Amino acid sequence: MRREDEIAAEIREKLKEKIITVEVPRERRIFAYIKTEALKESIKFLKDMGFKHLSTITGVDMEDGIELIYHLALDGSIELSLRLKVQKDDLRVPTITDIIPGAVLYEREVHDMFGVNFEGHPDLSPLILPEKWPRNIYPLRKKYALEHLRNLIFKEEDIE
Amino acid sequence: MSYGSTIKVPFGPQHPALKEPEHFLFKIDGDIIVNVKPRIGYNHRGIEKAFERRTYIQNIYLAERICGICSDAHTTCYVQAIEDLLGVEAPPRARYIRVIVAELERIHSHSLWLGIAAHEIGFDTLFMHLWRDREAVMDILELISGNRVHYAMNTIGGVRRDIVSEIIPKIIGSLDFLEKRTKYYMKVLRSEPTVLKRTVDIGVLKPEDAVELCAVGPTLRASGVKNDVRRDDSYAAYDEIPFNIVTDDGCDVFSRILVRCGEILESINMIRYALDHMPSGMLRVRVPMAVKPGEAVSRVEAPRGELIHYVKSNGSTKPERYKVRSPTLANIPALCKMLIGQHVADIPIILAGIDPCFACMDRLVFVDVKTNKKKALDFESFRKIVRRRHELL
Amino acid sequence: MNLLKWARIKSPWILHFNTGGCNGCDIELLAAFTPRFDVERFGMLLQGSPRHADILAVTGPVTLQVRERLVRIYEQMPEPKYVLAVGSCACSGAPFKDCYNVVGGVDKVLPVDVYVPGCPPKPEAIIDGIVKLIQKIEGEETYEKGR
Repeated sequence: MRREDEIAAEIREKLKEKIITVEVPRERRIFAYIKTEALKESIKFLKDMGFKHLSTITGVDMEDGIELIYHLALDGSIELSLRLKVQKDDLRVPTITDIIPGAVLYEREVHDMFGVNFEGHPDLSPLILPEKWPRNIYPLRKKYALEHLRNLIFKEEDIE
Repeated sequence: MSYGSTIKVPFGPQHPALKEPEHFLFKIDGDIIVNVKPRIGYNHRGIEKAFERRTYIQNIYLAERICGICSDAHTTCYVQAIEDLLGVEAPPRARYIRVIVAELERIHSHSLWLGIAAHEIGFDTLFMHLWRDREAVMDILELISGNRVHYAMNTIGGVRRDIVSEIIPKIIGSLDFLEKRTKYYMKVLRSEPTVLKRTVDIGVLKPEDAVELCAVGPTLRASGVKNDVRRDDSYAAYDEIPFNIVTDDGCDVFSRILVRCGEILESINMIRYALDHMPSGMLRVRVPMAVKPGEAVSRVEAPRGELIHYVKSNGSTKPERYKVRSPTLANIPALCKMLIGQHVADIPIILAGIDPCFACMDRLVFVDVKTNKKKALDFESFRKIVRRRHELL
Repeated sequence: MNLLKWARIKSPWILHFNTGGCNGCDIELLAAFTPRFDVERFGMLLQGSPRHADILAVTGPVTLQVRERLVRIYEQMPEPKYVLAVGSCACSGAPFKDCYNVVGGVDKVLPVDVYVPGCPPKPEAIIDGIVKLIQKIEGEETYEKGR
């Protein structure tokens, strides 16, 4: 059995009903979908297994919630994408900076772009949006089309 | 730790009433850095949103322009992600060409950086020599692709242009020249007392911190950690081309210089091997315009470190979501860590040590913990302070 | 034309400002000042301060966070002053024109004297742009169209 399949089996065994799906689409790639409440437990478990490197955290605006995908690497080699969904009317998840300090800026970026609150994060101040950017306008949310954002930000006389 | 509400006292030529976001907020005690808070965003253009508006083919050219110094790394990462979604693989010859262009880019990027580092240390002559010699790589890239920057070599399914046998002797000649020059520069950098004084034991990043803070690339490898996406998560033709992963145990800015020099030499050898062993055949496979629903994660070793792209497709000709995490962002937590306890005058060389985008280093703000006064400096004024201190040493 | 103005224009001091681009134009602009192209032999110098610059060479699409600063820098430059838009982004906003954080080309914010298109323009093209600017300033119409 490939190492990826072994890992997938270990995850299923450890997290049991908190796992929604685990897939191994190709070598060195695992996609696991977990229940939101299992986040910290999963990260801790995966880190102990050797997934110490967090490549980044991706946010995706889906109709039924905001997906957060934590991209973790084992020895820089096997990349596991851990996905969970957060409800739009309650955009909170716990921070993982106490387990993986390297997550500190990725959480700030997702907060900027989607408005997700990482509870326990030392400092969720804006990371990449400009000083003048209106608060509570999260650019990567689907409800804001590109033109809509431009109209919000630029006054009539600035653009033709 | 709060930075307090303070009066900002801007220095430098800009208008005093201009309120500006700082990029790095330093809390200092006398001349020593106590804490660093990053707030980047100078270059934020909103590209991820723009990806959703363009077709998969158009996005190749958008991805390329995320960064002008490592544009090939971005396109390689991009086309690989889409090829993953489509379940296609680039033909063997295309994979070799991808390696050659990627390594040429690494050489140009590291040489560029060495020049900048030399400039920060105060060696403007070395900067000029390095950038003059770097022109040899720029010429090869132009010969192969038609452009010095933004080579547009990659496409979904392969590469757009061939490396024809007529130009190979010119490439080999330039590589021989670059190898000689790089070895010379390494000798100079290793033996110059000023270089050593300004970089040895400066900006130290312990290996355990580098791993905990998820650092990448030469910054990580200069702390002795032997990770490189080209070997660990092999792509293109890297699994067929032998090479060494260059590391150093010094953990300081000097180590970062040595690692990048070593990588230039490795890249030269890799290109030679690839040219020698290049398989014949097609340059690309045909791919459909629309991509079936799915997701993929693509990683490459850009000159600055691990580059990762994530894509989610919805069955149309445009992506549902495209995420890019550049290596510089991954190294900023490590940068903040290595700045603590350091002298204010060493900030430029430590910042330069992680090889960040130019624009990130634009503006620095200092908060003196004793007086709680804030000061903003533009980089040129700051550089003058740094030079003055080191002349007095 | 008075002697001082003529002398300054013949050896322009150039302030380079990146408004949030990919750095591709910046490295080609810097390359123009390195030995192979060596514009310093013509007296052109890269200046750090707006107070001493004659020409403002702008690269990059103008992003929201940089727009005001760009205008302030221009205001601090003494007369006579000129603006060179280097690269497709500075000319029109190029691939980032519709992005939510991008105003557009430099001419949305400042009066531009010479546009140097290209993505990025080669150092030779940038030098050519500067030369055309000098000729424009001198009022000569000797620049050939389509060499």
